[in-house]
Amino acid sequence: MAMLELKVNGIAHQVAVEATTTLMEVLRDKLMITSPKMGCNTGDCGACSVLLNGELIRSCITPAMAANHKEVTTLEGIAPAGELDPIQKAFSDNHGTQCGFCTPGMIMAAKALLNENPKPSKLEIKEAMSGNLCRCTGYKKILESVEAASAEISGRS
Amino acid sequence: MESTDFLVPGDIQTACRHLDRLGAQAHLLAGGTDLMVAVNLRRLFPERFICLGDCGLATVSVSNGKLAIGAAVTISSIIKSDLVMQNAPLLVDACRTMASPGIRNAATIGGNVCNASPAADGAVALLALGAEVNIVSSSGEHSVAIEDFFTGPGQTILGPNEIVTGFNIPLRQAGVKWGWSKLGQRKAEAISIASAAICLSLENGKCRGVRIALGAVAPTPLLAVKAAEMLEGEAPEAGLVAKVAEKASDGTSPIDDIRASAWYRRQIVRETVSRILGDIS
Repeated sequence: MAMLELKVNGIAHQVAVEATTTLMEVLRDKLMITSPKMGCNTGDCGACSVLLNGELIRSCITPAMAANHKEVTTLEGIAPAGELDPIQKAFSDNHGTQCGFCTPGMIMAAKALLNENPKPSKLEIKEAMSGNLCRCTGYKKILESVEAASAEISGRS
Repeated sequence: MESTDFLVPGDIQTACRHLDRLGAQAHLLAGGTDLMVAVNLRRLFPERFICLGDCGLATVSVSNGKLAIGAAVTISSIIKSDLVMQNAPLLVDACRTMASPGIRNAATIGGNVCNASPAADGAVALLALGAEVNIVSSSGEHSVAIEDFFTGPGQTILGPNEIVTGFNIPLRQAGVKWGWSKLGQRKAEAISIASAAICLSLENGKCRGVRIALGAVAPTPLLAVKAAEMLEGEAPEAGLVAKVAEKASDGTSPIDDIRASAWYRRQIVRETVSRILGDIS
């Protein structure tokens, strides 16, 4: 056993874990933060994407202890309660959600991109979203949603 | 509270001591992007990890005429590193085709090499670059040429008490040409069906220091020594390039698997070696 201390969306937690417990298991099963989805559980689909100290990672193949003394941001933490982040609003306005299962991961990948590069080119958007699979297989509206969010964010600043 | 199941040594000597004490009970952990997949698929049941993230192995520097890349440097950090871009751009080209941003942020170059997949893109690039692998244990340090590091799929010369600390790469000289090619089922997040990395110098129109490395076409990342020898000291004209590409293809021993047939992999090697040599010379 090991004792994990981490902050998730600004709130400190202590969780007892095994060496092989994944960050996704801690988030979903111990902390009941369910936006990171278990799609493949092998790092292929990106549905479990979260930010670890601001960097996009796959929570399903990240040992929970790798987040010890670090900050995790999930979809639940990107906007104040009752409000939407511009990326969430753009996905909603542009029908980027479709069935919704991949959406939290898609939005976290977009968040990581736009934090670093608020005005990405289409190619940069595709590159940033390349690790997130949508099994509705409709990427067009997802990419349009990220473009709309970028326009909103870069227009404001 | 110090955990006994997830050890995070603060330096490499401490990591070696943990490894001596625990032996096969412990697994070395870097980014975890290969290891945790094996855990989740119930192929591996580690009880303890020795995490190499805080051992000071995540630095890139130039010293003694070599580019030194620590084993714990992430693939993303390599892509963003000006030092790597100046001195070993081939490695940057290869890293850009690996996985996707969320995996590259965690995956390390040391993990890519030590996982010893025949398809490891980073390993193939390091092979073409003539990298040395730095190895440490509690009894000392030594280095080996990367072509002597791999012994089979998932197998290396690494002893049970040894840890890879990083890689030394000769600095890029003026006139050095390089090329990288990877064929996967899609552009992102694909394991190589076949890959090729080539480095050479053109001196007065003649090829020198030719290294041709191939991925996913043999039990280990493969250095096509005989094909490279054919080009050594010669001008890279089209007829010779075709023969070199044929030789490189003949020297492979690919397998049929879910990604491609052995026959197809041989065709890809011939075509990509020929194209890279055509493009760079």
